[in-house]
Amino acid sequence: MTSANEPAESASAPAAATPARGRGRGRRATVVLAVAVVLIAAVLTGLATLRSERPGTDGPEAGFARDMSAHHAQAVRMSFIVRDRTGDAAVRLLAYDIINTQSAQIGMMTAWLDEWDLPKSDPAGPMRWMSGHGGHGGASRAAPPTVSPALQAGAGAARMPGMATREQLGELEHASGRAAEILFLRLMVAHHRAGVAMAEAVLDRTGHARVRALARSMVNGQQAEIDLMNRMLRERGSEAV
Amino acid sequence: MSKNARNRAQRNVLTQRQVPWGGIAFFAVIGVVAIVAISYAFMQSRPSSASGSGGAIAGLVQKDGLSRDHTSDPVKYDTSPPMGGAHDPMWQNCDAHVYDRQLRNENAVHSLEHGAVWISYRPDLPADQVKLLQDKVSATDYTLMSPYPGLDAPLALTAWGKQVKVQNADDGRIDAFLRAFVKGPQTQEPGAACDGAKDTP
Repeated sequence: MTSANEPAESASAPAAATPARGRGRGRRATVVLAVAVVLIAAVLTGLATLRSERPGTDGPEAGFARDMSAHHAQAVRMSFIVRDRTGDAAVRLLAYDIINTQSAQIGMMTAWLDEWDLPKSDPAGPMRWMSGHGGHGGASRAAPPTVSPALQAGAGAARMPGMATREQLGELEHASGRAAEILFLRLMVAHHRAGVAMAEAVLDRTGHARVRALARSMVNGQQAEIDLMNRMLRERGSEAV
Repeated sequence: MSKNARNRAQRNVLTQRQVPWGGIAFFAVIGVVAIVAISYAFMQSRPSSASGSGGAIAGLVQKDGLSRDHTSDPVKYDTSPPMGGAHDPMWQNCDAHVYDRQLRNENAVHSLEHGAVWISYRPDLPADQVKLLQDKVSATDYTLMSPYPGLDAPLALTAWGKQVKVQNADDGRIDAFLRAFVKGPQTQEPGAACDGAKDTP
């Protein structure tokens, strides 16, 4: 027995120590693995969050920035034209206001696209972001129907809802005095109405704070200007639109 | 000690020393799921690399050090169509503008300075291809399009210091060029207008 026992004793001496050590090592490895997985997940989640705060090129934020920039550019153009065509102080002041506000807003939206590293143009056509994906039925309420580039391409067709055609701009360039004021006001009310609809459409589709803040200010500002312009139309003996 | 006890001791040694495969598998699965999910979110939110260099456009020609002088005199440009250089004080309107006649280079170059992309085509470009381009241009602000007699390719896309010539209106490089360079980083005067100046050829 003893002869059989002795090797067993000597073998069990280290064996008695190793189970504890082995168990400790196993637990340590598990803890290290768990910590590593949690760390990697945290880093990736952090990066993904940072990433996703930068809107994508097909998202409503970028589409809004691009389309509203083009829309605004025409309002600026029309306002410059009417300042050349009338001496009326009230219309000239309104036009001055639109030029400054909307030019500055184009700059803000261009800076967003720069910051998001996104293209300033979408060769697939304007207003695509407004079709579908609308929360709260926004697409039907706020968005004028999306028009395909092919449909818009006809000579003189407006590129986006509310935009004046080239013919209408030409008409404004040749009108003067009261006629120019009335034409300008009517075109700009239509322009602003579509602008408000576009801003409401992006409000229905994004939670991006800065985009929402600017869109909200456009809705409020342009709605107030629509009311003002309709008062100005009536003062000039024209129907409100 | 019995043979049994010794076996138990040995088994203990083996089991206790074993790598904790259960734990490893558990966390590896969690890790893989997390990585797959997060990479997917990444791809979804990744912007289609816009801007920029247009480095991916095959055959892109670039030119630096172009003069920005204003002059009412005719200018001799060393590429055709010109990619930049001295130009007329009046820019050619580039508000998604389709022209059906040849433009003065000196006016069109000024539009490039403002961040426009100029699509020029050889007058023998088939009508259906011209139509395709017209549709694109008339839907894209800061572009202009015109025939260009003597062009050494069916069509050319030009921005300030950037140019690519392609054979067909359905070439994928056209959209890539527009995405990269309409108001792109080559723009010499960001914020400058594309209307209010020369509206006819």
